[in-house]
Amino acid sequence: MTDRVHAGHLAPTPDRGVPPPASRRPGQVTRPGRSITDARSGADPDRQVAAVLAAALHLPGADLPAGVADEEPACPPERAADLLGRKGLLAKEPATRLALCAVHRALGLAPKAPRPSGPADPRTAVVVSSNLGNVATVGDIARRLREGGPREVGPLEAPNASSNVIAGAIAIWFRFGGPNLTVCSGATAGLDAIWLAGLLLRTGRADRVVVVGTEPDDPQAQALHAARDGVTDARPLRAGAACLLLGRVDAAPHPLALLGPVRAGVPVDGTPRGLLIDAAAVAGDHYGAAGVVHTALAVRLAATNATVTVRCGDPVDGMRELDVRAARR
Amino acid sequence: MAATITATAVRTCFGDGPATVAALLRGACGAAGLRRSDPARVGVGHGYPIDDDAPFGPSRWLTDCVAEAVAAAGLDARRQRVVSLVGTGLRESAEVERAALAGSVDFPAERLHFADAVASAVPGVQRVVTLANACSAGGSALALAQDLVETGEADAVLVGGTDGSSASMLAMIGRVAARPTGRVRPFDADRAGVLLGDGAAVLVVEPERPGRGLARLLATGLSCDAGHETAPDPAGILRAVRDAHQRAERRPEQVDLVLAHGTGTTLNDETEARVIAEVFAGCEPGPLVTALKGAVGHTSGGSALLSVAVAVEILRTGRVPPVVGLTRPAPEAAALRLVREAAARADVRVAQVDAFGFGGLNAVTLLEALR
Repeated sequence: MTDRVHAGHLAPTPDRGVPPPASRRPGQVTRPGRSITDARSGADPDRQVAAVLAAALHLPGADLPAGVADEEPACPPERAADLLGRKGLLAKEPATRLALCAVHRALGLAPKAPRPSGPADPRTAVVVSSNLGNVATVGDIARRLREGGPREVGPLEAPNASSNVIAGAIAIWFRFGGPNLTVCSGATAGLDAIWLAGLLLRTGRADRVVVVGTEPDDPQAQALHAARDGVTDARPLRAGAACLLLGRVDAAPHPLALLGPVRAGVPVDGTPRGLLIDAAAVAGDHYGAAGVVHTALAVRLAATNATVTVRCGDPVDGMRELDVRAARR
Repeated sequence: MAATITATAVRTCFGDGPATVAALLRGACGAAGLRRSDPARVGVGHGYPIDDDAPFGPSRWLTDCVAEAVAAAGLDARRQRVVSLVGTGLRESAEVERAALAGSVDFPAERLHFADAVASAVPGVQRVVTLANACSAGGSALALAQDLVETGEADAVLVGGTDGSSASMLAMIGRVAARPTGRVRPFDADRAGVLLGDGAAVLVVEPERPGRGLARLLATGLSCDAGHETAPDPAGILRAVRDAHQRAERRPEQVDLVLAHGTGTTLNDETEARVIAEVFAGCEPGPLVTALKGAVGHTSGGSALLSVAVAVEILRTGRVPPVVGLTRPAPEAAALRLVREAAARADVRVAQVDAFGFGGLNAVTLLEALR
């Protein structure tokens, strides 16, 4: 195996022999860091991995720049029925509602358009990235059990106790019958989801992958988000979702943009390959959704920039990077 | 194409891999009273616990399995491109519950996923991605692990699954149970529902090389029912089975053994029995069928990989553990060749492992003996 230095501006993550002080507790063995040495992966940064067929942002309250913002503002989760219609929303958590809104927009559906019926499409996969989507429900159920016992909890809530509830709900809502994955790897989850979506396309497990990043901003989610070792600034957790419809490069005649391989490592000084879209490009931190939110933004910016580099991650979970290229028309 | 499983490591209520396999072969049942939740509060009295009640059990069991598997396979993550995929149903949700009840978070939120749990046992691992894919999470991770090895994106993949229990999930299984039960009875006419088991499993997946490995990993098929969150759909399950057989280039009559998902719930067992009957219709005599959850409980995210690890042993030894907890088969399972009462001896060359989860997530794996 030959080591090669990739052409991106991420360098291999050095081993962290000593964890950040905040994470060390009495009696705990030091936590060796994740050595992420993408330089050895041999991934060609100029190879195109996936075609972007559609990209949607659903960021309630976000103040996006002109040329990037949608004409219609994003409805908050409690008003998701304005976009999705009322049926089936009752027991859905905010992160699930935001995710469904983002997919609805990516599919280009009219407000309250009827939901698909008929058999599930086995060639469309779903990959969701979210870390905190169901933590409010899990905490709430625990409190109610302590206070009132099992009678306090209804069977309708059952799916919300499982961390894959969002991806399952998207599949059921839109009848996507292909592989169904939920990535919850922390700050890198969004670009990890795009990485796995590329793999599903490459291995023929799907013709189309619906990638959705979503996070809520309830108090339980905020408390966990603030308790990360990887906190580098006081950027608060921000609720929002984004959706990318990805297809195979060789099967998409008119893509919006093309995605290169997802690189892993740490940023180094040097000229970026193109315009950089990272946490600084948005207000607040979209955490597990960030990689998808940043990529959806980059797709819009690719209309006027040949290459846009997307980044997400933090010092503990590591960094991921991806180049978005304008598609030749 | 195919890949090889070069090491396995498991932790269950019975202990490590050899202890677990020995207990399965003698037909032991690991059910016991709940240890970390109050039965009066969650409405469930039993489980299949590991004797370890400290917080972050699933992370610790996973770390132990990773260390054991890495040593057994002789992996060197500083010289090889090693990636890790970890499947889980609940992540460390029990710690979210603890934080909610205490009103404060006393751990770094990065510990809700399993990057540190893996990296602490294998420094140099390139990426650790946690997949919350419900009760079939380990099977989903195994499918992607094989993809990464076959496409050359990784030299080896540490594929893991781990879960404990959370009060919220215990309450849910209590609500959907037919009546309270002290043990899981897969495919039995008197089955009453599922119980959670603590457990973790790790497999090392590497490209196939002559003379190396424990078993051939033929393929894993994936599908999503996209119909109902909690009720299994035979059409969705069938798609995963057919996908697995097609990717593996094996016909139903070549399958000698099915390790069923077998949760002991009315819905799962009835649906799964019918799908097995349909897939293997016309095969004479049809595959042996066994299931582990009567012995070790439903280990959720780890359950698929635990079944795969046991299948690897069966392919090597020809000793098939019985369905613990099964005394009188349910009508829809009566025609299956269920392994009952005692371990069977059989020449098993190809084994199928079923895993189904919340949200209609299906993962079906085919393995082949290297003999």
